[in-house]
Amino acid sequence: MTGWMLIDIALFAILVATGIAIAQIRQLFAVAMLSGIFSLTSACIFVMQDAVDVAFTEAAVGAGMTTVLFLGALALTRTREKETPRTRSLPALLVAAATGAALVYASQDLPAFGIADSPVQTHPVTERYLVTSAEEIGVPNVVTSVLASYRGYDTFGEVVVIFTAAIAVLMLLGHGATRGVEEVPPPMRDRQRVLRVVAKLLIPYILLFGLYVQFHGDYGPGGGFQAGVIFAAGVILYALVFGLDAARSGVPMRVLRPLAATGVVVYGGVGVATLMLGGSFLDYNRLAPDDPAAGQHLGILLVELGVGITVTAAMIMLFYSFAGRGVRRS
Amino acid sequence: MLLAATLGLLTAMLLALARAVLGPTLYDRILAVNSFGTKTVLFIAVAGFLAGRPDFLDIALVYALINFIGTVAVLKLSHYGEFGASATGAHGDDL
Repeated sequence: MTGWMLIDIALFAILVATGIAIAQIRQLFAVAMLSGIFSLTSACIFVMQDAVDVAFTEAAVGAGMTTVLFLGALALTRTREKETPRTRSLPALLVAAATGAALVYASQDLPAFGIADSPVQTHPVTERYLVTSAEEIGVPNVVTSVLASYRGYDTFGEVVVIFTAAIAVLMLLGHGATRGVEEVPPPMRDRQRVLRVVAKLLIPYILLFGLYVQFHGDYGPGGGFQAGVIFAAGVILYALVFGLDAARSGVPMRVLRPLAATGVVVYGGVGVATLMLGGSFLDYNRLAPDDPAAGQHLGILLVELGVGITVTAAMIMLFYSFAGRGVRRS
Repeated sequence: MLLAATLGLLTAMLLALARAVLGPTLYDRILAVNSFGTKTVLFIAVAGFLAGRPDFLDIALVYALINFIGTVAVLKLSHYGEFGASATGAHGDDL
């Protein structure tokens, strides 16, 4: 198993080196790109830890969204980090060092690495999630049954948080519908021909893959969050290559705003429906009283659909509002 | 064999990282990040077969499909200075 160790060590070394470089470099363009590398490396580490769903999220969000949103923010501000005066960096160093020391001290109390009787292994909920969930819910991907069924409340909270965040960004940046239509002159089109052809070829497959991730989440890695980001990435690619106005006429803001709310309503509606059927909130067994597993399947499918709709709409709206602000350079 | 391939990929990732950190121009960094992304796709695919988990390929596929969106965004921003498709935007070569 030394080979695995070697791979892990190499990945962590890359991660640490990237982190130090991000802290050192002042050109924020370079920092945005290095943060892309940071995200790619952490996805590799998650894969090595067998946390496939987390790696999936990191892949979709890190590769598709964060870099684009960072750059969108950079386009609105300046591209060089301000020097922090030395008088202020000393207290910051002290706080960071103290926090680090406290964390290292606290890590003494953690159970030893890979030990069999750590609380994670012995807690009854582990048995419930990993063994009993196969009968109770019947979904092969345990992560999905924990996320959408056992912990359905928490996930509902997450969806509401994403919805709220999108509203907050729209309030701060505006919904980006202020600029008029601007045609790209023909020479530009010629120069971007490769990009246009490749984008046209790829976008359908990106959307198709988004659907696969959305509806295959019960069986493999994936689910509504990842699918939503992949869908949004397809639209964002379209906007980047063919122009914001083209994307806005295809996927207009007036559709996205109700969609973002629809996802939350679908999720909450499933909960209310189970209440009406005499169960507790998000008790999917009530959806099919004769066959609880079928009810769980239906509930998880609907709930994930709600997540996917909200995430897609929220991510596209975030991009629109960043991109629609235009040049505000100093 | 697969282990050797993985280690080779990691070495290539390190080299790409060095180029991304050292620069010196923006385009070196763009190229470095893009090739780092490609190496990640390969790494996850190889690691999936090494671990006997072919479903890792799903993740590699996501990267293969959407990895270059960030690159397109960088190029667009550095060329036009903004995301909206205006060809009259400022030239963002202050790096």
